[in-house]
Amino acid sequence: MPRRFGPYGGAFVPETLVPALSELEREWRAARRDPTFRAELRRLSRTLAGRPTPLYFARRLTERARGAQIWLKREDLVHGGAHKFNNALGQGLLAKRMGKPRLIAETGAGQHGVATAMIGAALGLETEVYMGEVDMERQRPNVLRMELLGAKVRPVTSGQRTLKDAINAALRDWISSVRTTHYLLGSAVGPHPFPSIVAEFQSVIGREIAVQSRAAFGRLPDLAVACVGGGSNAIGTFHPLRRTEVEFLGVEAGGARLRGAGAASLSHGRPGILHGAYSYVLQDREGQISETESISAGLDYAGVGPEHAWLKDSGRARYIAVHDDDALRAFHWLARDEGILPALEPAHALFAAVAEARRRPPHQRIVVTLSGRGDKDLEVVGRAARR
Amino acid sequence: MLRVAEALSLARSQERAALVPYVMVDRGRTRRLRSVVQAALEAGASALELGFPFSDPIADGPILQATADRALSNGTDWSDLVESVEIASGILPTAVMSYANPFWRHGFDHSLPSIARAGASGLIVPDLSLEEARPWIAATGRHSIDLVLLGAPGVSETRTVRLARATRGFLYLVARYGTTGTALSAERIDLTPIVRTAHRAAPRTPVLIGFGIKDPATAAQALAYGADGVIVASALEERFVRSFAPATVRRVLGPIARALRARGA
Repeated sequence: MPRRFGPYGGAFVPETLVPALSELEREWRAARRDPTFRAELRRLSRTLAGRPTPLYFARRLTERARGAQIWLKREDLVHGGAHKFNNALGQGLLAKRMGKPRLIAETGAGQHGVATAMIGAALGLETEVYMGEVDMERQRPNVLRMELLGAKVRPVTSGQRTLKDAINAALRDWISSVRTTHYLLGSAVGPHPFPSIVAEFQSVIGREIAVQSRAAFGRLPDLAVACVGGGSNAIGTFHPLRRTEVEFLGVEAGGARLRGAGAASLSHGRPGILHGAYSYVLQDREGQISETESISAGLDYAGVGPEHAWLKDSGRARYIAVHDDDALRAFHWLARDEGILPALEPAHALFAAVAEARRRPPHQRIVVTLSGRGDKDLEVVGRAARR
Repeated sequence: MLRVAEALSLARSQERAALVPYVMVDRGRTRRLRSVVQAALEAGASALELGFPFSDPIADGPILQATADRALSNGTDWSDLVESVEIASGILPTAVMSYANPFWRHGFDHSLPSIARAGASGLIVPDLSLEEARPWIAATGRHSIDLVLLGAPGVSETRTVRLARATRGFLYLVARYGTTGTALSAERIDLTPIVRTAHRAAPRTPVLIGFGIKDPATAAQALAYGADGVIVASALEERFVRSFAPATVRRVLGPIARALRARGA
């Protein structure tokens, strides 16, 4: 398991956390070789998570673009309404294996919090989720869902009160509770071995895309598109396909038009150390982490997973930023053209995919990872429509 | 002025327990910094830890988080760090505490000589684990800064040995599972075996205990574990909120210094 992706990654953490990170790596190495663990993961992926998710040909969206075919990898149909459950299930089973009775998690849009609450309930583990106050306000339905699932939602009032601050709070909790608690980190960020573990549990997305696109159109797609906040659904899409010819496009949140860098760490940030890893970070000249802004809570993050930093530098993947208004436009396209309400996060990827499709000939195939469904965003979208 | 390492070794050879207070750099405090550090010296401090604020301090509890937020909203930047080091290091041997990113962002070739020229002789980076420390050890060595590593409860004996041998100046032993702060930790962890391991691995390297040292009792407990001294941070910063002044330093450090002397005697 790589500690570094090119120069990126590592484990910049207080020593207090080192024993827990080593234990996690040890257990993970043992678990992935253990047929019982793998069988249990496969069984629950099928019977609880609802895998495999379909690969859907978006005919009317393709007609709108009048170019390459657009296919959707339907992670919005995973239990809980987002790809997040793939990783929560895997890490939940790991926590159980390590004998840790308590789970903590951070959440931005609330999808990872919901996924953690679900697996916590299913495995009988006490669950606490840290969520920034700003995000609790804009993703209220998910707060309610977590509470109904038996999790305790801890409001985070420090910093800008979004995902970054929720990760800070979860890390601080973990420093204090590390012997009895597993930190179920939800994105492909943080100190080693988290980026690798999350990437592997999410890689089911890319593996299924490979199998399903061969079945549907006889070959791999020409382009895979996914949104990138911390980057877990994107790495799950890209990582298993990294040794193929498939082009990768990662789509970050550009925020409001004519205002700052949004939350696009790869497009506008520079290498730095945040939350235990060396990667691209939105920061000022002094090395202080910048405030970010995006209409989507799940992409509203100043850092990004270290493997993406290396995919960018090595030229294997391209990353662009899409503004709030364009993401909203794509939200409505998918709703009207296909009858699917996407989450605002993958709406960024959809906009970029349609733009790509316009530039490409009809025989090309684009797969977009539709990482989550949009029910949580109805208020935000409604408010934007009234403005 | 002695280096931090020399001051702590000297204290140890004279069988004095070292007292190292922590003060955060804050543009709004620069004017009074000299008198505050002077008061620390007079209260019996052996060295000073000067903290540079960071936006996302994951090892810090609520008190130091709030202190950092205030410092940053006062516009504190690198120039304030340099100025504060210049002031403080004229009075007490000074180590800088900073999270990794600001030093990384400024570049080792700029950040390290800049604080060394200002008079700092040590650097403490709370989010730098041993695995990531190698380039930092090399770079700090080139600029004659001692990179102070942190030990912690729960860390294996073999790792404590490696930490004790790799650290420079002293080993900063974190007293508990938790972040900085004065709130009582639920349990007391006997640090004696860790201190003993560190001393055996690096007999000339002092071990200082920090995190939760707030009064004579917690300081005396640290010495009972065999430590060579204590670091006092949140207990000071908690009271600096109301008054960043010499009297505050005397009030907090005075009783702790007396407790340390009593143990030494």
